[in-house]
Amino acid sequence: MKFLAVCGFGVGSSMVLKMSIEKACKERGIDCEVENTDISSAKGTDAAAIFTSHELGEELKDSVNCPVFPIKRYMDKEEVGQAVDQFQENGGK
Amino acid sequence: MLIDVLPKEHMQQVEHIETWEAAIEFASKPLLEAGYIENVYVKNMIASVNQNGPYIVLMDYFALPHAKAGEGVNQLAMSLLKVNQPVDLKGNPVNIFIVLAAIDADSHMQSLREISRILADEDNYQRFISGDLEQIYQVLQS
Repeated sequence: MKFLAVCGFGVGSSMVLKMSIEKACKERGIDCEVENTDISSAKGTDAAAIFTSHELGEELKDSVNCPVFPIKRYMDKEEVGQAVDQFQENGGK
Repeated sequence: MLIDVLPKEHMQQVEHIETWEAAIEFASKPLLEAGYIENVYVKNMIASVNQNGPYIVLMDYFALPHAKAGEGVNQLAMSLLKVNQPVDLKGNPVNIFIVLAAIDADSHMQSLREISRILADEDNYQRFISGDLEQIYQVLQS
């Protein structure tokens, strides 16, 4: 299963978000691969779910087929954990 | 080591700064003076917040301004600005700005990993947000 962590450039914030998602998944025993990328590359990448900011999420959600979870604080492991929980509760949809 | 990329000479503290744009400009000064970044990188960081939103606020009171890797960046580096009175960044109060100047997609990963690890600890986070430069420096070495 692949998750995407997305920010404007795919280098700084999304890398931090990727670390937060990896940590949350590890704590929950979820086997996944997390890739960080910029918003334009994200539009053409297949993933089980995308995690990004509210603003970029609005821009992304019409051009991707997977669920998009808006995250306010990329380094907040509780907020990121709740989004991962929601992904699981929705049956991975 | 994080401190190699973000040495004490790159850290500044001020009481008050009017806007988040001015804070990013001020925080960038040590990197501009050392020739690690160009003015265009500072402009790009500010433009990114206006274009993409305030997601650089990674935790409450802590922001990581950055822009496209390698564009106006000559060397991987970071600088830090502590503002005693929180600065409003599009609805988010911020006390600490760490400018990230990345040269490529991943050479800064270790430094970001260290920051993430350090700030995941609540005591570290509190000292990081509320401390003076000496305390912040110590936290970042922990």
